[in-house]
Amino acid sequence: MKNVILLTIDTLRKDVLGCYGNQNKLTPFIDSLQNKSIKFTNAQSTGPYTQASFPGILTSSYYLEYGRQKKCSPKRTLISEVLKKSGITTAGFHSNPYLCGYFGWNRGWDVFYDSMQDEVSDKIPYIKGDGINRKVDQWLSSYIEDDHYRPFFLWTHYMDVHEPYIPAREYLNKVDPSINLSEDDMLDLFKEIILKRDISDQKTVKLLKKLYDAGVRETDDYVKNFFKILEKYGVLKDSVVIITTDHGDEFGEHHGLSHDGKMYAELINSPLLIYYYNCTQEVGDNLVSNIDIPPTILYLFGLEPSEAFKGHSFLPLENYPQKRAFGEAIGKTSNQEKETDQPIYFYRENDLKIIYQESDKSWEMYNLNEDPQELNNLINISDKSKDMKKKIMSQITR
Amino acid sequence: MSKETKERNVELIEKSKEVVRDAFEKYDPAKCAITWTGGKDSTTNLWIIRQVCIEENIGLPQVITIDEGDAFPEITDFLVTISKKWHIDLKWLCNFDMLKSCQSHLGNDIQVKDLDERNQAELKRIEFNLKSFPFEAESYAGNHLMKTVVLNKFIEESNTELLFMALRRDEQAARKEDEYFTHHEAGHLMPEHTRVSPILHFTERDIWDNTHLHNLPYCPLYKIGYRSLGARTSSNPGEVGVPAWEQDIENVPERAGRRQDKEKAMERLRKLGYM
Repeated sequence: MKNVILLTIDTLRKDVLGCYGNQNKLTPFIDSLQNKSIKFTNAQSTGPYTQASFPGILTSSYYLEYGRQKKCSPKRTLISEVLKKSGITTAGFHSNPYLCGYFGWNRGWDVFYDSMQDEVSDKIPYIKGDGINRKVDQWLSSYIEDDHYRPFFLWTHYMDVHEPYIPAREYLNKVDPSINLSEDDMLDLFKEIILKRDISDQKTVKLLKKLYDAGVRETDDYVKNFFKILEKYGVLKDSVVIITTDHGDEFGEHHGLSHDGKMYAELINSPLLIYYYNCTQEVGDNLVSNIDIPPTILYLFGLEPSEAFKGHSFLPLENYPQKRAFGEAIGKTSNQEKETDQPIYFYRENDLKIIYQESDKSWEMYNLNEDPQELNNLINISDKSKDMKKKIMSQITR
Repeated sequence: MSKETKERNVELIEKSKEVVRDAFEKYDPAKCAITWTGGKDSTTNLWIIRQVCIEENIGLPQVITIDEGDAFPEITDFLVTISKKWHIDLKWLCNFDMLKSCQSHLGNDIQVKDLDERNQAELKRIEFNLKSFPFEAESYAGNHLMKTVVLNKFIEESNTELLFMALRRDEQAARKEDEYFTHHEAGHLMPEHTRVSPILHFTERDIWDNTHLHNLPYCPLYKIGYRSLGARTSSNPGEVGVPAWEQDIENVPERAGRRQDKEKAMERLRKLGYM
């Protein structure tokens, strides 16, 4: 093994993947990878939207640790910065505006493509997966000129699952050929239903979920093509590929849509696969967090742990010390965060999960074993509440 | 400066002058206007147009600058000083209605209902439908009202047919195919007009070579590290303390100060409903 590849898919719910039990065949390619992967069944995101979650994924830190900033604080250390210093080539390709150079995520990369200099379509304001793949292909073709190339860390991120939910026709047909919507119709649904958080009509919410599912199916093909590119340049056999998301998405499960400042299962539970061509299928049921990804990458490169990182490598599985996860965000209730919105936190230990919302000082606690959808609030009836409150408070006031 | 650089400079300027002469053949100078931000590109542009006017004995068209309400004092000083030196009757354009509603204070909230009819109509045109927005360079609505609207209004009221701009092809990949003259059809609240960029073929390096070769004035902010100047709150120096022309112009994007990237990012985030 020589290289580490981090493939993140924005807004990908864990429960849409076949390898996590979905029956709708939305991710045939990703599912096929599980035979050669460690599949984590209890992976958690550190936050319910990009800005809250990516500090975990790329800097192994929590969102509000350095105050409420829109930009990636210079006090955070990116995995790319640590790796570059160790002589590993670092390359990142994505099209999420919140992760662009302007917001400070371009540190430590030898190659950083954030698409901000490129034109995007008017309806879908990001570069689609095929465009991202082309960039990766171009870069690899020049990088792998001889067999003695330096090891690299490649981060690729797809946006295609993310709203406005305008999947390509081909994939919509695979999910439900009876859906007869034009791109304009879909954009209208995004503006009128999603942005207004209007869940009054169950049928429309179900329709939107199908558009979302089609985006998942489309992205599965981008992942497939991505692997083809890796094979074409002969780097797949030399690489470990980590596949995960930054957060999920809501379709009315907790009376909302999209991904606001909430901490429920549909937003926080993450798919997490670690693929290696020579790996035999394994399941990791440890409670892990995306804050553990940067330390894991260091471990995979055989590098010493970094003091800058809060998490622990989740490999080797048997050495993983934690049985708890924490996350924080601003409890925003629409796409737009208001200055007056207050933080929200979650803390999980084994099957218990507690959520604290600062705006109204409200508490929720769920037993995930009995209530995986997090609908039955136990805070006033469980004898564990006091203990869990204490534990989450010690995280918040760290 | 090398002989090659000097020869190249002569060619660059001659090409620009050709474009300017061509413009004055097609358009009545009285119906032309020159935009000038006080930045290096538009200063070079103005310098070239002014030379053609002197050579051809043509009156200099109206020179305009847009006050976005968030200008660097260094830029304002520069505009005032050079206007005097070059005998330019500079017209300062500004959306006063908007400044009034936020007491000219950056960051203050502007209530849409307090704005005049035109400003409200413009907000509707760009599908902005919130009740208020903060007055800041990065706010989409604010940016539109303070810049685009002001310019459109000027074109309309002065019957301007041709606007001299200072775009450069090397600024972004998307501009590679740009032509010197671009015609803008009339749209809702947008008057018909043509834009011309005589320095389209200059690179950032050419601008600095030209500036030094001919001793052109420039805003002192370039000397302390800024490579691209926009609104105060959204421009950052490239390498602090290193003059723009001594920085790695060829390899580090001019907008490493990131004004344009910021605008792009904000625009995309707005489309996703986040702004």
